[in-house]
Amino acid sequence: MERRIVIKQIMIMAAGMALLPSCLREEGQASIALQNMPISLVEEKVLAEITETLIPATDSPGAKALNLHLFVLKMVDDCYTKAEQDEFKKGLGKVDELSQALFSQRFSDLPRNQRENLLTDIQEQRHDSPSIAAFYKIMKAETIKGYLNSKYVMTKLVIWELVPGRYNGYYPVKTT
Amino acid sequence: MVIIQLKPHNLTSMANINIDAAKASTYDVIVIGSGISGGWAAKEFTEKGLKTLVLERGRDVQHIKDYPTTNKYPFEFEHRGELSLAVKTENPIVSRCYAFKEDAMHFMVKDKEHPYVQEKPFDWIRGYQVGGKSLLWARQTQRWSDFDFEGPQRDEFAVDWPIRYKDIAPWYSYVEKFAGISGNNDGLPELPDGEFLPAYPLNAAEDYFRKVMKDKYRNRHVISARCAHLSKPQQVHFDQGRAKCQNRTLCQRGCPFGGYFSSNASTLPWAARTGKLTLQPDAVVESILYDHQKGKATGVRVVNRLTKEVREYFAKVIFVNAGALNTNLILLNSRSERFPQGLGNDNGLMGKYVAFHNYSARITAEYDGLKQFATDGRNPAGGGYIPRFRNVLQQETNFKRGYAAGLYASRYMYRDDSAIGTTLKNNLLKGELGPWIVSSHMMGETIPKESNYVNLSSRKDDWGVPLLNIAIEYDQNDALMKQDYISQLTEMFSEAGFKKITPNTNSQNPGLDIHEMGGVRMGHDPQTSLLNQWNQLHACKNVFVTDGGCMTSTSTQNPSLTYMALTARAADYAVKALSKGELT
Repeated sequence: MERRIVIKQIMIMAAGMALLPSCLREEGQASIALQNMPISLVEEKVLAEITETLIPATDSPGAKALNLHLFVLKMVDDCYTKAEQDEFKKGLGKVDELSQALFSQRFSDLPRNQRENLLTDIQEQRHDSPSIAAFYKIMKAETIKGYLNSKYVMTKLVIWELVPGRYNGYYPVKTT
Repeated sequence: MVIIQLKPHNLTSMANINIDAAKASTYDVIVIGSGISGGWAAKEFTEKGLKTLVLERGRDVQHIKDYPTTNKYPFEFEHRGELSLAVKTENPIVSRCYAFKEDAMHFMVKDKEHPYVQEKPFDWIRGYQVGGKSLLWARQTQRWSDFDFEGPQRDEFAVDWPIRYKDIAPWYSYVEKFAGISGNNDGLPELPDGEFLPAYPLNAAEDYFRKVMKDKYRNRHVISARCAHLSKPQQVHFDQGRAKCQNRTLCQRGCPFGGYFSSNASTLPWAARTGKLTLQPDAVVESILYDHQKGKATGVRVVNRLTKEVREYFAKVIFVNAGALNTNLILLNSRSERFPQGLGNDNGLMGKYVAFHNYSARITAEYDGLKQFATDGRNPAGGGYIPRFRNVLQQETNFKRGYAAGLYASRYMYRDDSAIGTTLKNNLLKGELGPWIVSSHMMGETIPKESNYVNLSSRKDDWGVPLLNIAIEYDQNDALMKQDYISQLTEMFSEAGFKKITPNTNSQNPGLDIHEMGGVRMGHDPQTSLLNQWNQLHACKNVFVTDGGCMTSTSTQNPSLTYMALTARAADYAVKALSKGELT
């Protein structure tokens, strides 16, 4: 990867982190302040790996670099009910348990293809766990929302215009 | 504002200070409210050289400077625009409003800040700040025709309007030129043409629907929505400091270009430049003062929103533009020996015959054609407008009056989110244009009735003003009209070959239309109405109501343009009356 792009991405990461100060957090706690759903640093890291498995770094940043796991936590903490938060937290823990049971390894330690297979199985509901299913549904929806609404995507990949200055109701497009 | 502290050393100086205080508090005109109609009153009076005090109950909001979110990207909002659960739980009423989102919630009254009593469920959506709801409105602007003004008389409801189209037509032209209204001259008697800037054109699917309707029906017209956006600003708009609309469609945040009309961007700064305007925010009007000897109103009593200090201001003429229901509240609370039921309320009808617009049905469908076209940029007008086609020339259905309809089409970018990993990422970024999705919503006329009313409750707010009690509900006419809208639009969509036609009649409470009107209606007869043909209280001629409170009936058009025209017309009348020595 070009040095310039790396630096840019680090700056974007740094900007994201600046919004979410971690210096005052107790050790072992999540790196952002959460009001309603306490999450440990370990849980946060598992969530980071799960979101990165969904949206991996390629020639553009993935979920972790864009702090999408922190966005997911922020949204669940602020916009979901207590019952949904409980299920989310429980489901998150169970993903790691499931990984240990199936592969004797934590989710974070699995190779990429095994992570993807595990998430596919969860998505296809091959594991009979309502809390894992609830966690996955919220996590995937918020990760995708966070990705498509991230500064990186909105300014570099799928451009969102603040000032379009035009309207064409007969804009020619290719038909497939 | 100058705060005059009274320090009585002796009686003489006390008296002098009181005289000075009265002078400092005396104006030619007091305008209560700075929203869309209050802003117009301010402009008209100051332009004509009258010393004008505008009282606004909320905080100051200055154009551009006080639009904190206006240039934010979606990722700059903590929840990307969504409301947190805590905000939703605290604000069940205002959360139901489409505009109550992270980017504009600071311009809307929170439920707990200003409670009211719901004798029947009513979502009262308010914007308490300088500019009021003119910052937030949907900017749709259509003229009324005589089919509307003659409606109550022909169909035997409410009372006859004391004015006709010819009385207001020149004033429509007057306000359109200044505000800047984009639209086409469509040549429809039911929706008169005006002084328009170029219209925002219909898109491919809307235009296709227009052609089908023209072929299949005699009187169902799909036109470009007429809206208060500067599609091609003229000198008078540049003079206001406004510029061309930039198609951002982020209007609810306040527009840094002044691309749409608001009091903040247009009438208030215009009035301020005359040097005749005093704009007083944080001024809650408790009541209007009436002098029995003089037989007229002399001023207003105001409670400071922040300090609760009570002050009185005096003027020759008072314009009440507090927003329809708050105008009712202030007048009902202005009780005196002469008017024990509220100022001008000799017949006891004040607060009654309140009506609104029925927005409780919409319909959506897919159109599989015209896939060689999509849209580029954004349309600030929103799309198309279908003027009322039911019961226009004569009564032809089992319900009275009718509905206008919004009509808009767009193609959404579908992003396949089923995969995981690199495939998911690529699919999300790629996206695929879906078919045209065509939608419509109804805007139905409701019939004003004595049983739909507001009055004062026994509870008071933090400023000592009674809470408003609201008892307004839909009726059988509304239900029949809603059914007809669904069946007619279903038929029209079918004629156009649309598929997956999906009506949605989830009922919303009255009020969520944000078109509440009436309670202080205009009419010929002091026995059955509160205001005359010049918007003066029949029984107190130096008090005028030119906001939604004055409306005798609602028609189907969005009401704001009519409030603007009525205000400019009434202000012109008041100035002429003053110069002839009347009103004083």
